[in-house]
Amino acid sequence: MNEGMVSADDGATHGDLERSVSAPPDQADVDRTLSHEEFDPKGTLALILVYFAILVGMWVFMYFVEFLGNGLTVVG
Amino acid sequence: MSTGSGAATFVDRYPEEASIVRQAFFVAFVAFGLGALFGVIQALHRTDILRFIPSTDYYTVLTAHGVLLVIVFTIFFLVGLFQWAITRSFDRPVEDIRITKAWLALMSVGSVVTGVTILLGFVDEVGISADVLFTFYAPLQAHPLFYAGLAVFLVGTWIAGADWFRSWLAWNAEHPDDRIPLQAFVVLTTMLMWYIATIGVAVAVLFFLLPWSLGLIETVNPLLTRTLFWFFGHPVVYFWLMPAYLLWYTVLPKIAGGRLFSDPLARVVFVLFLLLSTPVGIHHQYLDPGIAESFKFIAMTNTMFLLLPSLLTAFTVVASVEHGARQRGGTGLFGWLRALPWRDPAFTGMMLAGLMFAAGGFSGMINAGMNINYLVHNTLWVPGHFHLTVGTAVALTMMAGTYWLWPQLTNRRLYSRPIGLLQVVVWFGGMALMSNAMHVSGLYGIPRRTAEPQYQGFDFSTAFGSVAELNVQLAIGGTLLFVSALLFLANLAFSWGNPTTSGLGQTLPPALSGPDDSPRVLDNMRLWAAIALVLVALAYALPLGAIVADSGLFGPGGDAYPVTVVLNSVAVTAERLTASVGATLADVGGVLEVIR
Amino acid sequence: MHIHQYEKLWLGLSLLLIVGFVATVTYGAVGTPAISMIGDDGDTLNPNAIDDHPEFGDPGVEKVGESEYAAYVVARQFMFQPDPIVVPANTTVTFYVTSADVIHGFSVVGTNANTMVIPGEVAELTVEINDPGEYGIVCHEYCGNGHHGMEGLLKVVPADEYDGGDAE
Ligand code: HEM
Ligand SMILES: [Cu+2]
Ligand SMILES: [Cu+2]
Repeated sequence: MNEGMVSADDGATHGDLERSVSAPPDQADVDRTLSHEEFDPKGTLALILVYFAILVGMWVFMYFVEFLGNGLTVVG
Repeated sequence: MSTGSGAATFVDRYPEEASIVRQAFFVAFVAFGLGALFGVIQALHRTDILRFIPSTDYYTVLTAHGVLLVIVFTIFFLVGLFQWAITRSFDRPVEDIRITKAWLALMSVGSVVTGVTILLGFVDEVGISADVLFTFYAPLQAHPLFYAGLAVFLVGTWIAGADWFRSWLAWNAEHPDDRIPLQAFVVLTTMLMWYIATIGVAVAVLFFLLPWSLGLIETVNPLLTRTLFWFFGHPVVYFWLMPAYLLWYTVLPKIAGGRLFSDPLARVVFVLFLLLSTPVGIHHQYLDPGIAESFKFIAMTNTMFLLLPSLLTAFTVVASVEHGARQRGGTGLFGWLRALPWRDPAFTGMMLAGLMFAAGGFSGMINAGMNINYLVHNTLWVPGHFHLTVGTAVALTMMAGTYWLWPQLTNRRLYSRPIGLLQVVVWFGGMALMSNAMHVSGLYGIPRRTAEPQYQGFDFSTAFGSVAELNVQLAIGGTLLFVSALLFLANLAFSWGNPTTSGLGQTLPPALSGPDDSPRVLDNMRLWAAIALVLVALAYALPLGAIVADSGLFGPGGDAYPVTVVLNSVAVTAERLTASVGATLADVGGVLEVIR
Repeated sequence: MHIHQYEKLWLGLSLLLIVGFVATVTYGAVGTPAISMIGDDGDTLNPNAIDDHPEFGDPGVEKVGESEYAAYVVARQFMFQPDPIVVPANTTVTFYVTSADVIHGFSVVGTNANTMVIPGEVAELTVEINDPGEYGIVCHEYCGNGHHGMEGLLKVVPADEYDGGDAE
């Protein structure tokens, strides 16, 4: 874990002063600035594809196993 | 007085508006605390772990829990947040602070009247009760003050919306060529949706339920008032959600150290909510007799398309957070997640809220699936679902957002960040347990809204585990949630004792892809409002027409069933009620005096 | 309007998901057996006049076809009539459920047979019942302060044990 990074922006190294302020006071202490062109959210894509797979799997399970497998289907 | 390093805060720049926001939040958090207390009572009572109230009072508790949390808490937080967002993003004071004070007062009076009417249900001697739950289905009948309070509250919210539109017009006159700032855009589209949505409940309350409870009309049509309620009941869930979305889109990226990924897509999302939130309410009535299957099918397809803006939101918000992580030096396909400020309760709270929303989204898809609704309708699955959505995605985001907003509104630091972090994590853990137990219990057929789901004639059969284990899980989860709520309120109360500090101000960074990348037509509120109205008319004209044609505006007959059993002397009742409402108002007034 | 490649991909997948959901639900509605929703075919009636109604005045189970039965059920604060509801196994049963007072629910526990019960409306649902056995019935909509006691029983008896009449 990138300990230094995390705590620097986390306020912890700002000492007591920053203890209770949520979020860094400004964004000056970011490592680098990324513009829209330089940034491809591939981590987001990966996460959301995992979510998609879970949704599809759970839907199929719930509909075809839990629901259609349940007794007394209403047919009229 | 010590100094921080940042800019001027909101309260430095707009002290009067900040005071309004604080007062609205104060009412919200009082309701939240009471609601959480009632929540844990329910969790312990219905699981038969601990019963210290008679089961008949359970429904007073449940009505109070529903109304205090999803009407008072969420909506007061919303108006506070929206006032902040409008003032901040237009960068101008309110046009007339008296109007702003007036709507806040109206909303408060309405809430107190309705709230006291509900709570009087505990005191049998008074003979006043409103144990009708927050859906108040006729022909169960509450005391007239219950409906009257709601009506006053509603009028307050309408004036609030008008106040914000007025700010927009004034701003627009000075900035005719500018794009509406995103935060204001969220507020305006949300309020348009609210105006459309509340037509349903306003008609139900003002034309039918209130006159009926006063004895001015004999009967109502239960299917009609129920349908009008759900006309409002679905969009209201998006109304609760929009403050959370506002924070996710405009504050969370900043806290993560990044910038909003796409402002244009955000606008598309909010327009979609305005258009699609209302013509779907019939999905709450999939199992209602008297509504044709075809209307249910239409509501189902509309509902499924309403998933789109939330799915798009998931991408945009996570991408904005990833942007922050990468700017903070994060690398790898998943490794960037470690570069985020997880020790910040505002950040972690919102992220955990978002994660639960992803899970709640799934159970919502099941609810929406028309025929699969047979499996879960009115079982405990449903509260399992909405404690993930409104009970966590919304409520936890509001708490997390408060951690960030607090210094902006008071010039005081938060009492303790570690306690804040603990609080959001405990909420997440408690909700994971409670909601999981509720979902599973629902699949076994255990109903919601009942004091004692333990029946004489049969047992619930379980595929794995036992009902007793699920009950324990639900009760532990509910208790943790209550503890978390107390931690939140205590942390805020102690923060009030911190000294004021200057320079705590935070700024919000512009989006990566800004508003100029999107077509101007997105800002055309008139156009979207008109289309939304047409869609609502298309979705509702025929079903409402059929209901009225079948059994008339006032129904096929039948009595009213007042939940008040004993009505001794009307005069005595009225007197006692006025006294208690007066006393409560005086208390609230006293505390508000301190808060401002 | 500038939209990132990945966003376009996700938009496409989202639409696919939505269409997939609608398709599944449609399949359920037209496949075999075709699941039908509670609709508006039931009559409307005055809840105060239920006692004079030809069927609901004396609720119970009737044979209406070769292996078809009609069960007339009245929900009222805080019970179901008749209780128990007795039907023979291996038959098709249509429940007609209405309320004499407020809104109730009618759910055969552990199955998909589930409906709202609204005064003035008649909920109509047909199910095929095969094996003998007992099911609980619960009212799943809050109907007043005795709601938690509102339950019933559905008894499915072997055809040869069925005595053909109201079990009240
Ligand atoms: C301390 C935290 C909470 C606990 C322990 C809790 C517990 C519960 C339980 C056990 C029920 C089911 C009662 C029943 O159907 O018999 C319930 C219902 C409900 N809860 Fe919560 N809850 C909590 C927080 C929240 C929050 C934060 C919200 C929304 C902002 C919320 C909204 C609701 C609503 C709308 C209902 C349904 C009321 C009805 O059926 O009329 N709850 N809650
Ligand atoms: Cu809905
Ligand atoms: Cu009931």
